[in-house]
Amino acid sequence: MFEPVGPAEATLTIYLDGRAIPARAGETVAACLLRAGITHFRTTPVSGAPRLPFCMIGHCFDCLIEIDGIGSRQACLSQVETGMRLRTQDGPARISGLELPGLDLQ
Amino acid sequence: MSIVPDADIIIVGAGPAGMACAIDLAAAGCRVIVLDMQPSPGGQIFRALEANMQARPGTDELLSALGPSYKAGLALLTRFRATPGIDYRPGTTVWDLRADGTVGWLKGDAAGYLRATHVVLANGAMERPAPFPGWTLPGVMTAGAVQTLLKAGRLKPKGRIVLAGTGPLIFLLADQLRRLGVRPALIARTDRARDKVAALRRLRPAGLPALLKGLGWLLRLRLAGVAMRTGISGLEAHGRSHIESARLTVAGKRIELPCDLLVVHDGIVPSTDLAHAAGLALAWRDDDASWQPVTTRDGQAEMAPGPALTAGPCRIRITGDARRIGGADAAIAHGRHAAGAILAELSRPAATPGAADRTGVDVERSLAARPFLDAAFPPGLAANLPDDATIVCRCEEITAGALRAAIRDGAREMNLVRGLLRCGMGACQGRSCAATLARLLAEANPDRPVSPAPFRARPPLRPLPLGALAGMIGLDPDLAQVESLDDKPEASAGDDAHV
Repeated sequence: MFEPVGPAEATLTIYLDGRAIPARAGETVAACLLRAGITHFRTTPVSGAPRLPFCMIGHCFDCLIEIDGIGSRQACLSQVETGMRLRTQDGPARISGLELPGLDLQ
Repeated sequence: MSIVPDADIIIVGAGPAGMACAIDLAAAGCRVIVLDMQPSPGGQIFRALEANMQARPGTDELLSALGPSYKAGLALLTRFRATPGIDYRPGTTVWDLRADGTVGWLKGDAAGYLRATHVVLANGAMERPAPFPGWTLPGVMTAGAVQTLLKAGRLKPKGRIVLAGTGPLIFLLADQLRRLGVRPALIARTDRARDKVAALRRLRPAGLPALLKGLGWLLRLRLAGVAMRTGISGLEAHGRSHIESARLTVAGKRIELPCDLLVVHDGIVPSTDLAHAAGLALAWRDDDASWQPVTTRDGQAEMAPGPALTAGPCRIRITGDARRIGGADAAIAHGRHAAGAILAELSRPAATPGAADRTGVDVERSLAARPFLDAAFPPGLAANLPDDATIVCRCEEITAGALRAAIRDGAREMNLVRGLLRCGMGACQGRSCAATLARLLAEANPDRPVSPAPFRARPPLRPLPLGALAGMIGLDPDLAQVESLDDKPEASAGDDAHV
C-alpha cells in the first residue's frame, strides 16, 4: 500500500509480535508498520474486524496497538524507539500482569 | 483563594495559529507555554518540516513534491524556535480543560495540571467524518492521513489508488502524488459543475489567488492524464479483510474499480473536542454539517448556556482552524490577532504598535476566499445520511440502522443514545460519529433543532494511563471548582438534555 520516498535508511529495530521490523529514527509506529506492509494493527472488540490507521492525526483511534506492554496506544502519535515491543491487539487492550479470577477484563 | 498561575498564557497546538500567537505574546514579554500533541512544531500543514529540511536521501524529491507552500512554513518555525519566553512542550496531549484556565496534560507517563491567566486553543481541524459502506476497512484512509504519511513518514502510496470526495486537499494531494510519479486510477469528485457556478457569485478579489492555485492543480493533473469525474455518488468500499474494490455511481452508471487504497476526503471542520469539553458554546452549521465554536472576532470564547463548573470569566480564546476553517495564512493572521487582544487585556504594549488593527484586516483578507470555497466544495460524501447497514460509530461498530431504531423507540437526545447503544463511548469519544448522530436525530425529529453540542464530554478527553493519574503533579483543580450541587450543569432548569 505504501513505499518509501527515496532510500529507506532504517537505523533501528522494533519488534511486532516478536518479528523484527526495521525502523527510521523519528518516524511514528504507524508509519513504520505501514511501510512494513502490516495488514492490521488490531481487531475490534465488537466484531473482531481488522483495522489499520484511518486519519493519522490522533482523532479516529483506529491505529490502537499494544506498545511495551501497554494496550490501546495510538500508533500515529507514538514515535519508534530502539527495541520497542509491539503486539497486535486482538479485541480490547490486555492489562498485563492483572489476573482477577471471575472478572472478564478482555 | 488565589492560585499562582504557571504561565501568562497556555497555547494548545503548535500549528500556524499557535506558533504565530506564541511569538507575538512572548515578544511582548509574556510567559507562554505551548502544549503540542506532535513531536515537533508545525501542525499538520507544516508537519515534520524541520526534519525534512535536513539533508537525507530523498529530501529533494519529497520537498519538491510537497511544493513551495510547505517550505514557506520554515520562516515561522524558525521564529517560533528562536523567540525567548516560549516554553514549548512537544508530545503533550491535553485531556482536561476548564474555562478558568486550568489545563490537564499528559506527556509520556507523566501527567498534571497547569494554570494560566489565558488559554488559547489552536488545536486545528479534522477531516469531516463521512460514513459510507466499507469506510472501516483497512486500506480506506483519509487524504490528510496520506499527506501525513508523506510528510512525517516519507511514504508514498503504491498500487491501485482511488481518490474520492471533495475539497481543495484532494487536488493538492493528487498534485503532490503526481510529482512523485504516483497516478491514481480515478479522482472521483462529489462536487458538480453547478457548484462552481454558484461559487463564482461568491468570489471576491481576495479569493482570486486561491482560485488560480486550484486551477493550476487541475490543469497539471489534466496534462498528466489523471482521470477525473465530477458529481459522483454512492461510494462503497468492498473487500474481506482489506479493500479490494471501490464502487460508485458516475453519470448515472454504477462502476466498480479494483483498489488497494481508497483515499477519501470531504473537507475539513473545526476540531471542537477541547472547546466543547471546557463548556464553551458551539453552534451547529447545517450547510457544513458541523459544529463550530461561538467566539468574538478576536477569538474570545463564550460559555455554553447553563451554570459552569468553574467560577469567574471565561479565560479561553480560540484561534486558527479550530475557530474558522481558513488554512495556514488565515490561521497565522488570526493567531496574531488573538495575541493582540490578549496583550490589550493584560495592558501590555505589543512589540509592534498598531498591530491589532493590521492583524484584524489580515484576518478579513485571509478568510475572503472561504465563501467561494465553501460553495464550490460543499459536503459531498456526507451530503446524504448513510443507509441502515452502514457503520456510523467506528469504535463500537454501531450502524445507522441501530441508531435509527433507538431514535424511533424514543431516544431523542445524543447522550441518551450513547447510554443505550454505546455510540460515542469508544476510544475516540465520539469524534467520528457525533455529527452524524446529531443529523440522524434531526432526520427523525425535524421539528426540533439540531443538538447544539456533541455528546457530553468528561475528562479524561484522551487516554490517561492509571500510573500517570496516580502521580499527577501541579495544582488540584478541585480547589477552584464550583462546589454547590445546585451549580452543577445537571441541575440546570428546563434542560431536557439530561434525561
